[in-house]
Amino acid sequence: MSAARGTANYEYVTSRVRSRRASLFDADDYRKLVRMGPGEIARFMEETEYETEMNALGSRFEGVDLIEYALNRNLAKHFDDLLNWADGALYGYLARYLRKFDAWNVKTTFRGIYSDADPSEIEDDLITAGELSETLLSRLVDAGSIEEAVDLLDGTLFADALDEAYELYEQESLLVPLENAVDRAYYADLMANLPSEPNRAEELYLQFLRAEIDFRNLRNALRISRSGADIDPAEFYIDGGRLFDATTLRQLASNPDELVARVRESVYGDELDATLDALAEADDLIAFEHALDAALLSYSDTLSNRYPLSVCPVLAYVLAKEREVDNVRAIARGREAGLDPEEIETELVIA
Amino acid sequence: MAKEVKPTRKNLMAIEDRIELSERGHDTLEKKRDGLIMEFMDILDQAQEVRENVDDQYQRAQRAINMARAMEGDVAVRGAASALKEHPEITSESKNIMGVVVPQIESSKVQKDLDERGYGVLGTSARIDEAAEAYEDLLETIILAAEVETAMKKMLEEIEKTKRRVNALEFKLLPDLYSSQEYIEQKLEEQEREEIFRMKKIKAKKEEEEDADHLTTDEEEETEEPLTADD
Repeated sequence: MSAARGTANYEYVTSRVRSRRASLFDADDYRKLVRMGPGEIARFMEETEYETEMNALGSRFEGVDLIEYALNRNLAKHFDDLLNWADGALYGYLARYLRKFDAWNVKTTFRGIYSDADPSEIEDDLITAGELSETLLSRLVDAGSIEEAVDLLDGTLFADALDEAYELYEQESLLVPLENAVDRAYYADLMANLPSEPNRAEELYLQFLRAEIDFRNLRNALRISRSGADIDPAEFYIDGGRLFDATTLRQLASNPDELVARVRESVYGDELDATLDALAEADDLIAFEHALDAALLSYSDTLSNRYPLSVCPVLAYVLAKEREVDNVRAIARGREAGLDPEEIETELVIA
Repeated sequence: MAKEVKPTRKNLMAIEDRIELSERGHDTLEKKRDGLIMEFMDILDQAQEVRENVDDQYQRAQRAINMARAMEGDVAVRGAASALKEHPEITSESKNIMGVVVPQIESSKVQKDLDERGYGVLGTSARIDEAAEAYEDLLETIILAAEVETAMKKMLEEIEKTKRRVNALEFKLLPDLYSSQEYIEQKLEEQEREEIFRMKKIKAKKEEEEDADHLTTDEEEETEEPLTADD
């Protein structure tokens, strides 16, 4: 992975991203895939750009597990390419965003160590699309205890948050504080050190991230509200969004109708209007989360169409690629579980 | 059995006591059996309901986890599952239903709040919550099913045992006792009749002897009288 250097090369990266984006599966491919069994899906993937990963992992995994691991490895390869192409500020934005995979890897490692899983099994579950080096990941996986893993992360963006959360972990023996600290550190880093008067590129980057944070806050507030648990939603509030601050979120979470009304009046109102109606009627949080994913994808596309030479098309590609991976995995797992093609189709988010 | 009993009045009285006790025991056991059956029918209804719930909730939980694996990925679901080491606590006490000791299983820490499931809230989704919740519901129902099914099994064993006792009393012990009682009564009557007959015989013999004695005395008297007159 290259470090940020020189000036941002938006033209070069966006043109390469356009070509990559064109090779993503389209609606026709999904229509074909949902009618295939897991074996046929695997064969189909062997004839696409997933061929290398399918062949490389074919001797270790089989069935839908093979598909899932190949999808993850391919995702990591593509995002690694993006970081290799990007320079300057663009690299910085991308790297920050892709650190979500670092967060994923840290949480996966903690969970593995916590449950005494075999290091090789933990390693299989990592998605090496972030910035943490393979050496560090490998040492993390081999760590004998959570404490050792937290110490190894010293010097990373997660260090301070984990140091604070570790005391709570010791008291409660639950991973919740550590996992929340990792996610919170990731979101804090996303928005950190951006100038108070951002330029156009930074403004677009912020606009995209704020939408993601707003949607994350919204879904978490609704989850907490629906769970009926006595949890303060502000504890899980992520700073940096446009829609809520911690106090507003605390007030609105106790009154989901007001929360929905607030979103309806917001800049996302038009995008989420139909979904909010469905949420109010059917009370289906999963469908709503699904719609939020689709809305974020669509919002990123809108931004990238409006500003084609910016960070937006690159971030939109990141989301679209993740969505492709999610869709193919959903089809394969859904078919494995015996779900109807029509049922699977309703779960897909197609850009 | 009847032939093994000595036909004495003492044994007859002992058998009559045993008959009375057995009849009382038989009535009590019959009532117990009927009571157990009624209790069992209630538990059976409950067990059927719980079994249906286990089936439904298992289907729901399987579907929820399949959907979570499909939408979030197997790795994410396995990861979320491994973020909790604490096991639910199950304690077992016992309660008494008509003399049958059945378990009363209490569970705690099965249903968990969102922030007690081990995985972080910020980086997970409602799909994983739904799967976790569905399995928590299923586990609660399985614990209830274990309690109800064990109670049902124990009740059934007790009903069987009571039925065997009732049947043993009704078809074996009581008939044997009645037969012994009848045997002894017959024997005693027979002995009585024999005794009466013997007494009669003795009496008759005595009378005969007495009659014979009288006759002899008379004859002797008759023989002696003319001598005295002639003299």
